[in-house]
Amino acid sequence: MQPTTVYTRDRCVTGIHGLDEILRGGIPYGSTVLAAGTCGSGKTTLGMEFLVRGALAGEACAHFTATEPSVKLLENIRQYAFFDMNMVDSGLINVFDMDVLYSWLGLDKASFELDDVHALIKAIVDIVNTIGVTRLVIDSVTTLCYKIKSEQLIRDFLFTLGKKLATLGCTTILISEITSATENAHWSSFGVEEAIADGIIVMGDSERMGHLLRFLQVVKMRGTSHSRAKHAIELTPLGVMLTPMLKWGASADKTSRWGQ
Amino acid sequence: MSMFELDQRIAEQLTQVALNSAVQVRVGTANSFMVTASTMIPLMQMFEMGGVYISASRGAVEIIQAFEAIGVDVSHIQFIDLVSSGILGGTDVSYSNVHFVDSPIMLESILLRTLYVLRTMDSQRNFVFLDSVNALAIYNDDRMLAEYLHTFINTFRQREVLTVILNVPDQTPPLVLSNLDTYCTDIVDRGQVVIL
Repeated sequence: MQPTTVYTRDRCVTGIHGLDEILRGGIPYGSTVLAAGTCGSGKTTLGMEFLVRGALAGEACAHFTATEPSVKLLENIRQYAFFDMNMVDSGLINVFDMDVLYSWLGLDKASFELDDVHALIKAIVDIVNTIGVTRLVIDSVTTLCYKIKSEQLIRDFLFTLGKKLATLGCTTILISEITSATENAHWSSFGVEEAIADGIIVMGDSERMGHLLRFLQVVKMRGTSHSRAKHAIELTPLGVMLTPMLKWGASADKTSRWGQ
Repeated sequence: MSMFELDQRIAEQLTQVALNSAVQVRVGTANSFMVTASTMIPLMQMFEMGGVYISASRGAVEIIQAFEAIGVDVSHIQFIDLVSSGILGGTDVSYSNVHFVDSPIMLESILLRTLYVLRTMDSQRNFVFLDSVNALAIYNDDRMLAEYLHTFINTFRQREVLTVILNVPDQTPPLVLSNLDTYCTDIVDRGQVVIL
């Protein structure tokens, strides 16, 4: 009997301590991954480190910021030793303000219609294509989708964007803001992002006797086997660090909800 | 240092341990610092090791000053202080080699912070000194602490970082103590002070 050849997809090695181990080598290339987390759970830092590790490997990266101005984002991220402003200056990491992009596209309006959504997709895809971006972060897709009023339109937007970026070989992290990261929670604000994404990484806080412990859990990742265990994380100057959460420490998690 | 008498047999015993060893150091309530110094000083001076000292029993500054009082420089040792964040103003210290974790309950954070500090160190051979299991037992459930020590010891053994775990056995829950006996490769037993 001949051994079966196991097909494995090429990986985008995140370079984040522990995460590639959880993902058995990294995110499958071209995937759209939803990084869903509560406030202060480390989503932006994770997204930025994902880009920095790519830039260090010579990849062109892009960050679309909708939650805070790029100047403020860069000021906050400069405290981390893993970040080097030269990566921005040299064009390896390209940071775009969504507000500026909206102005360029004439989308200074409260809500987007079908044509507006298509114009936005085209603009993002054009930027990715022109620069040759292989790693992209949109922070946050929640803020962006607030302007898209119909659930169907949000679904179309994310599906079309993900498909086009995958065709270009771009691995994308869509940051999603959620208010609770418990087992019964939705991993997205609009309920459609989680169905469309190839992968879901949940980030939140576990309360242990009055202290908040950050955690990360990969709940879905198409194209690879992966650990589904909760991992404790620390945001260190060298980047995000992970270790499996203590099993006997998890009993308190069941009752803990962010904000309670 | 002449007034302070070290237990030289500990240094002799330490010559037998490998980098991937886990040494349980049993102390009594009265001899804790003498045994700590008798363990730390050979590691720093004889074996020229770098190290991380995790202080759960007392604030790091108190430990640093205790070493300074016997003429031992510990400025190249990094301290992870689990006590002082619980005291208002406790983290306002002048030593640059002190790091803080909010509470001894944040066990995973302690492990990750230790790994982070080790990544920043230049020394080739390092130790991690955990002071102490009985102090961690004040805050943590027995099963969780036993699980943690299992993870803690194996994490550093895998990385060839010498683990030294201080423990007052009389103040440690039996489950934790028996697990510690199983996971540790060596024991320095100064847990009972015999008064003649």
